[in-house]
Amino acid sequence: MTRKQRRIIGQIGFYLLIGVIFVYLMFPFYWATISALKTENELIRTPATYFPIDLTLQNFMAVLSNERFLRGILNSLIVASTATVLSLLVGSFAGFSLGKMRFRGRSPSLYAILAMTMFPQVAVLAGLYAVIRILSMPSLVSLVLSYLVFTLPFTIWVLTAFFKGLPSSLLQAAQVDGATFMQTFWQVLLPLTAPALVTTGLLAFINAWNEYLFALTFTATDPDAQTVPVAIANLSGRVARQEPVGEIMAAALIVTVPLVVLVLVFQQRIVAGLTAGAVKG
Amino acid sequence: MAQSRIGMAPASRGARKGLRLAAREERMAWLLLLPSVLLLLTVALFPLGRVFYSSFTDARFAAAGSQEVNFVGMRNYRELLSFTLRELPYQVDADGVRRYDHPRLFLRRLDTSMSYDEVVTFDLFGTRYVLGAVRPEFVRSVIDTVIFTVVTVSLETILGMIVALALAAKFFGRNAMRTAMLVPWAIITVVSARIWEWMFRSNRSGFFNSLLDRLGWGDGNTGFLTEPALQLPSIIAIDVWKTTPFMALLLLAGLSVIPKELYEAAEVDGASPIRRFFTITLPLVSPTLAVALVFRTLDALRVFDLFQVVFGERRFSMASFAQYTLVANRDVGLSSAASVVIFLIIFIFAIIYIRALKVDSGD
Repeated sequence: MTRKQRRIIGQIGFYLLIGVIFVYLMFPFYWATISALKTENELIRTPATYFPIDLTLQNFMAVLSNERFLRGILNSLIVASTATVLSLLVGSFAGFSLGKMRFRGRSPSLYAILAMTMFPQVAVLAGLYAVIRILSMPSLVSLVLSYLVFTLPFTIWVLTAFFKGLPSSLLQAAQVDGATFMQTFWQVLLPLTAPALVTTGLLAFINAWNEYLFALTFTATDPDAQTVPVAIANLSGRVARQEPVGEIMAAALIVTVPLVVLVLVFQQRIVAGLTAGAVKG
Repeated sequence: MAQSRIGMAPASRGARKGLRLAAREERMAWLLLLPSVLLLLTVALFPLGRVFYSSFTDARFAAAGSQEVNFVGMRNYRELLSFTLRELPYQVDADGVRRYDHPRLFLRRLDTSMSYDEVVTFDLFGTRYVLGAVRPEFVRSVIDTVIFTVVTVSLETILGMIVALALAAKFFGRNAMRTAMLVPWAIITVVSARIWEWMFRSNRSGFFNSLLDRLGWGDGNTGFLTEPALQLPSIIAIDVWKTTPFMALLLLAGLSVIPKELYEAAEVDGASPIRRFFTITLPLVSPTLAVALVFRTLDALRVFDLFQVVFGERRFSMASFAQYTLVANRDVGLSSAASVVIFLIIFIFAIIYIRALKVDSGD
């Protein structure tokens, strides 16, 4: 075999590998899409069809007129965005303090925050339930508060890293000009960290949108406050024992596609944020 | 600037001013941290303390919430963690075949103060053993979660490395591939659990059964999610699909900082690709790998969504056991004890990790 031939075979093998990876990553998404487009009869047909025969939008229509599901989307939007905004606001103060100021107790604080990003949520489940009862909070508020358990430490950690990366000379220049800490923070540092805020916010939002443990537990007695993951997990048929698979798949796509689009638009920043959050050693 | 604060006596005006500034900075820093500290106290530290306290009580969720709570010491922990490993006795029948005692009945006959139930029966070196526990679901959930963690993290690392190495090369469509990689990651866990649940359906309307049937393997009615032996492998497959891209992304970031010259030099020296991987790539990417590994490990140990959605009450992870005990059984005490055990396992791991990676201490 000549060098050239070997090269060609290597190339073919490489593209084959890429193809396999691509199919592996995308196939379940494809399967969900065609399942959502199949009729009820085709869905239970054996063997399964790999391309839909009778295309229908019936499942999408059914799910979009399902009040519980729509309510879930609204609830998720409210809860996830409130938790995100709150984390960014409070977290950027903390990030500034930890990333740019010198004070005693700084490194223990950093350790504590990092330890909290690895916090098992289930460990506070029963205790949070008790706190919510003591404060007698409405379910949606309780979800916002409980989501801070994971969004806030994560936000602080990533923003601390970003703040630290900003040149200190800016801060000193502002101080020389007689600006107060707050002025420096709002007018100099915050505009510079806007990209970081977008990235961090997006990641916090996705995590909150994804959350299931707290949502399932704290809305157990309040179905009106169910978020999207709980609504999808509980989506069941009007007829007992028959699972509305088509509708579940349609619902899955409806909540996934906007998120995927969002992720694709911000992909470079998300990758940067993920690696900053996770790899910042 | 730092020295002027610590080392020097406040002799000159400048130094005194520096001292005042430093004190002001310190006050300001704590003021900025205060909201975060207060919030984290409310949502994490206080609840955690409460969980710790109620793990020593027999607290339950009562309808009115006015029920008496008693301190029971270590009872919840004893109930959760007591287990026994016994050899299963047998008789040899006329044909020379061993007839083992029924594991469950054998455990019930044991002369102990605890009432053990069967967790698992297994053969090792020609002897059959039975593992019994007072709370077999919890012990099983710990074993299952550990197996789940070890297998998913290993597979994700290997597959993630393959994907990252492939995507590190320059080729047509690389950007499309990097984009495709974010898709499984962006799909929420509950949704991916339900999609795979549907693909794993136990007749030929499910993708895997129809595929196996077409290939002539299996009878087309494999119960991937109902047969105990297939449950863990199936759920592992779902998690690996969902999180391999995350691993690959991190590794890709690690690979991108390795200088190209190293590879060129090695190629000139005639080092094979495999040798190049083990002598250049692996050592240089290993810090990233270590971080990714531990993050994934901690994530896998606290897995909840997948188990809850796919198995409900048929099989538990550690977290889904604690949640089930709390919500369905309303057993706050026992659930809290389980949570404390989970917390300790994960906390010890996190501490080792922070120490090992020497997280920036501010210098």
